[in-house]
Amino acid sequence: MHKDKDAALVRDCKRGDRRAMTQLISQYERPVYNAAYRILGNTDDAADATQTVFLKVFEHISDYDQRFKFFSWVYRIAVNEALNQVKKRRAQEPLDDGQASPWQGPAEELDSKRVCEQVQEALMLLNDDYRNVVVLKHISGFSYQQISEILQLPEKTVKSRLYSARQILKKTLLEAANDDRGK
Amino acid sequence: MSKQGRTDQAPFDQHVFDLINLSIDGQISSTEQEELEHLLATSKSALKLNEELRSVTRMLDELPEVEPPHYLQSAIERQVRLPVTSKSNVQKPGSWAGWLNANWLRTGVALAAGVVLTIGVYEMGSEPVSDRDAANMSGTMIRNGHTAKPELLVDSISLSTGKLNGLVELHNRDGVFTLDVRLISDGPSELIVNFARSGLEIDGVSRMQHPVEAVAIADGTIHFTSSGEQHYVVTLRRLPQLHEPAPLELEFFADSKLVQQSKLNVPGF
Repeated sequence: MHKDKDAALVRDCKRGDRRAMTQLISQYERPVYNAAYRILGNTDDAADATQTVFLKVFEHISDYDQRFKFFSWVYRIAVNEALNQVKKRRAQEPLDDGQASPWQGPAEELDSKRVCEQVQEALMLLNDDYRNVVVLKHISGFSYQQISEILQLPEKTVKSRLYSARQILKKTLLEAANDDRGK
Repeated sequence: MSKQGRTDQAPFDQHVFDLINLSIDGQISSTEQEELEHLLATSKSALKLNEELRSVTRMLDELPEVEPPHYLQSAIERQVRLPVTSKSNVQKPGSWAGWLNANWLRTGVALAAGVVLTIGVYEMGSEPVSDRDAANMSGTMIRNGHTAKPELLVDSISLSTGKLNGLVELHNRDGVFTLDVRLISDGPSELIVNFARSGLEIDGVSRMQHPVEAVAIADGTIHFTSSGEQHYVVTLRRLPQLHEPAPLELEFFADSKLVQQSKLNVPGF
């Protein structure tokens, strides 16, 4: 992330410069969308969340404190927005009967597309706290310290959640692979 | 942390687990790395755990990047309101000095040879015009200088979205189009009209019955922000080059959320 460049663009945005706004959106639209997609698991919700994230970012840009990193602020809003969407969706959707296993498909060879689907499904089975850390680490590529800043958690907690999430994912994916082999 | 359980029978060793994770993330010290290598060389369970965790993290790292929808960036840009109004992009309604600076109007001035704008500025610059006059601006122009032809309703859109309701009509009279917008909203509302490929250019906004908060023109779109009851008439003039014009694209927003997308067909030559 380009801290100095971001700071300059944010300053310009605060002065009402829409070109600076466009540059910031260009820079962060794709990574925010990808993080939202991996947290939410579908493209429509990800697009919705991404729009809301940027509307909130620019609505509150005057309040943004430049002592902090801009990307941390954007991602914090993004994670919170994605969580809001998850909560809304849970409130609207009927309860899952628990029978619809994501791995009950045809017993085709585990090609890369299927692996991606399985990994995404496994991500969706994680609880929100674990999934956010995994997405920020493996999709957004942040360090422990950056994740700690974004989520405002101690680094120790970030590590603990990340390691636990990996262990759960390992178990889930191994079971999925076994299920596939058994078909 | 426990350093026991280096045998194959140990179900889980938190220390080994932490070392492997630190190693995967490139956060392991040289001492810890040596320790891990020793563990991996002497414990099958540690080796298995290492392989499995690395496999999982590799799968996560290799998840493909997802392409955002093509419309997303422009949709965001259109909705964003920066806290400080940019004078170059946004003009208050009735700020004709600002309108005169816009590229489209410079072209419009040249093309219209002053006739349309002279009348328009006269109408706008004096006392407030009546609603009837506002709604019939093109009629005013025609009465002043052209042979009167009947005004035709070309296309219309009705909105009934709960938060934003109203009617938009596109009229044509002798090549001069008027977009008559009447909206009522509970809260903040926006209308974006994309006329970029419609074969039309904007001549002006004749009258706002209830003042809009901002009008912005950029890249073939005109953008109104307002709330409550609104009535305005956008005058558009046909460009001679385009024989198969694309429809006018309208996007209606209430409380910053897109509530309706519609098209108004523009007749070709």
